[in-house]
Amino acid sequence: MFRNSYDNDSITYSPTGRLFQVEYALEAIKQGSASVGLVSKTHVVIVALKRNAEELGSYQKKIIRIDNHLGIALAGLAPDARVLSNFMRQQAMTSKMVYNKPIPVARVAHEIGDKAQKNTQTYGRRPYGVGLLVAGYDETGPHLFEFLPSGTVLEYFGAAIGARSQSARTYLERNFESFPDCTAEELVLHGLRALRDTLAQDKELLIQNTSIGLVGLDTPFKLYDNEDVGEWLEKLGDVGSSRGRRQAEEAEAEAAAAAETSAPADEDIPVPDVPAEPIETDD
Amino acid sequence: MDHMPENWGRPRSDVYGSYQHAIHSAGPQSHTQVPSITGTSVIAMKFNNGVILAADNLGSYGSLARFTDQERLIKVGKETVVGFSGDASDMQYLESMLERLIIEDNYEQDGHNFRAPHIYEYLSRVMYNRRSKVDPLWNAILVAGKKDDGSPFLGYVDLLGITYSSPCIATGYGAYLAIPLLRKLVSEDEDAKNVTEEQARAAIDESMKVLFYRDARSLDKYTVATVTLDGNVKFDKDVRCQNMNWRFAEGIRGYGTQKQ
Amino acid sequence: MTSIGTGYDLSNSVFSPDGRNFQVEYASKAVEADGTAIGIRCADGVVFAVEKIVSSKLLVPGANKKIQTIDKHVGVAYSGLTPDGRHLVDRGRSESYSWRGLYKSPIGVPILADRLSGYVQAYTCYSSVRPFGVSVIVGGVDKSGPHLYTIEPSGAFWGYMGAATGKGRQAAKSELEKLDLPNISARDAVKAAAKIIYIAHDDSKDKDFELEISWVSTSETGGDHQFVPKDLLDEAERLAKAEDDDDDDDDDEMDED
Repeated sequence: MFRNSYDNDSITYSPTGRLFQVEYALEAIKQGSASVGLVSKTHVVIVALKRNAEELGSYQKKIIRIDNHLGIALAGLAPDARVLSNFMRQQAMTSKMVYNKPIPVARVAHEIGDKAQKNTQTYGRRPYGVGLLVAGYDETGPHLFEFLPSGTVLEYFGAAIGARSQSARTYLERNFESFPDCTAEELVLHGLRALRDTLAQDKELLIQNTSIGLVGLDTPFKLYDNEDVGEWLEKLGDVGSSRGRRQAEEAEAEAAAAAETSAPADEDIPVPDVPAEPIETDD
Repeated sequence: MDHMPENWGRPRSDVYGSYQHAIHSAGPQSHTQVPSITGTSVIAMKFNNGVILAADNLGSYGSLARFTDQERLIKVGKETVVGFSGDASDMQYLESMLERLIIEDNYEQDGHNFRAPHIYEYLSRVMYNRRSKVDPLWNAILVAGKKDDGSPFLGYVDLLGITYSSPCIATGYGAYLAIPLLRKLVSEDEDAKNVTEEQARAAIDESMKVLFYRDARSLDKYTVATVTLDGNVKFDKDVRCQNMNWRFAEGIRGYGTQKQ
Repeated sequence: MTSIGTGYDLSNSVFSPDGRNFQVEYASKAVEADGTAIGIRCADGVVFAVEKIVSSKLLVPGANKKIQTIDKHVGVAYSGLTPDGRHLVDRGRSESYSWRGLYKSPIGVPILADRLSGYVQAYTCYSSVRPFGVSVIVGGVDKSGPHLYTIEPSGAFWGYMGAATGKGRQAAKSELEKLDLPNISARDAVKAAAKIIYIAHDDSKDKDFELEISWVSTSETGGDHQFVPKDLLDEAERLAKAEDDDDDDDDDEMDED
């Protein structure tokens, strides 16, 4: 039933000192669609790809506002993210109530990290199955943190989580040196380009499936959804997946050579053989 | 023989009936209703480059001048001063709370530091919370420092949880005797821009002298603290009232050896 | 570990027939996989240094601190599962916070180490929890002087003049032994710490790392735990780099520059 005898719960070490259940929880993040975050000297942007479970269903919320200066983007189990976002909102309100001060981004990020750690050390619990990008602006400037179910919280210039996020990360790594001097608008477009790279080849960014969160200097947290995304996608121009574009070009060339049209290729994400029934992800 | 000393000298149970313990717990539960060792006024005003405060060094036990070296202005964090009047033990309790608050704030050396508005909000919550338990901390407190935008901050909170801000604030007798003197210089926030530190200091010194003349629970030895907008906190300790003139006292009924 | 797979290693708090608690030993493996952390007890304080492995160039340099503060006068550095380390630091903070509340004075470092080790030990006793995956170096200055301790996943704690955990602990320990402990000054200890971290770092395994150094010293920080000032850190790093590049295997005397 199990891959080995050390992965039944989150409180058993393997002989090499690993915690398999925690590592599997990290995999759950990849079941969700991608979220990307990036930082300039003045702003933070989070963008995310929403999924809908069925044609008539709504798209799952991917970006959650926490406070005027703070928001999160998620990938993985959305209900877990709700638990964490509620907790963050409480922390944020407490800070305002008791100290008359917006909660520092780093502190609230570490609060949820510390909360997640407890689930990895006590029997009868499971690690959270969600990764978060915590984006906020406080008196020390704009910040982007990545939260993982292991309790790890790290600050990044740019980060991506979720399905095919490696493609976005590659984009970020190639371009992050230009981020600091970006305007808010340029930063959003960089984010959308990184997000675009995570698309399956037959997909494109639409106002229905794209969320944008922006916060920064003199910019309270603003969430762009649906119609509001339109202007950004117009500025972006090409909304199709880079794979799709490349493939389309190749197909065109091929079509020119051979008259035959090829059947549409499968989605390039390998279908996991584990889940017999669908788990509740943010799709 | 009854060997329990606490029973000796009491009305005999066999004659008067046993003590009714219900009497002891009858009525509402009460907490502190009087302060013990007290400090008198704290006075403060804004000036063009910050805030200046003063409080004398007396710890009174009723009308007895019990301690003459009590410090009632404390630095909290990097650039905030808190001044306490009222009960000394409650002040010490709040001091230790604030010390731990700042230690917690410094766990992560991440550039976030509590400043005056944050400490003020915290103290306000504590004071109102305690008054709501009908177990107040018997103090009136001034918090002075810098606002988030870098301008001077001065706030008041007391045992009832009452809060307000003003360019000149004084607790206790100071509210009657010092405020008129301080307001001559600064009555609105804008006025503070035209007042230098030296002018403010002179008004504070003058007010402390008047308070010593008229407030029987005051001392002519006091501390002056100055918070400037560059984040500096300066303490001037063991200051003495200067150029006092007690001739007016002769006209006061009941003073000294004078007859009615 | 011949008993692996016999079933005695699947639960915490279970002894194997030869008297071992395998889960605790496995926890130590997590410690050995992480970057090196060292502590030096010097003449009037304690110096901490860690080798922070940089896993991505997108990480903000200098932002993700690994050395933490437990109380004004107490610092801590650890190797292992970072979230576990943070958990233990949290516990240390509440111990010293409540101590201050009760006694209106800073907690003694030996008492703090004792209480923390007791907490860690408790996590080896029950099948409902797992042991801490960290070795923690905790140190500070109290009224009886500087102290340095290491707490292991088993809950064992030892006092040290120079302590090291993590990947490069062997190399670091042999370098620590060469120092004139505990007479070394805090400033020299910072430079020595930088050098040791560079020596302990294995270029073949992890290419990139960040050096983090903090100190508690009566003369240098007034007894508070702080990160060392940037100019001192830069200088220490420069010296360490120069030496690391120049002579890999030369066991010369330490650079007392």
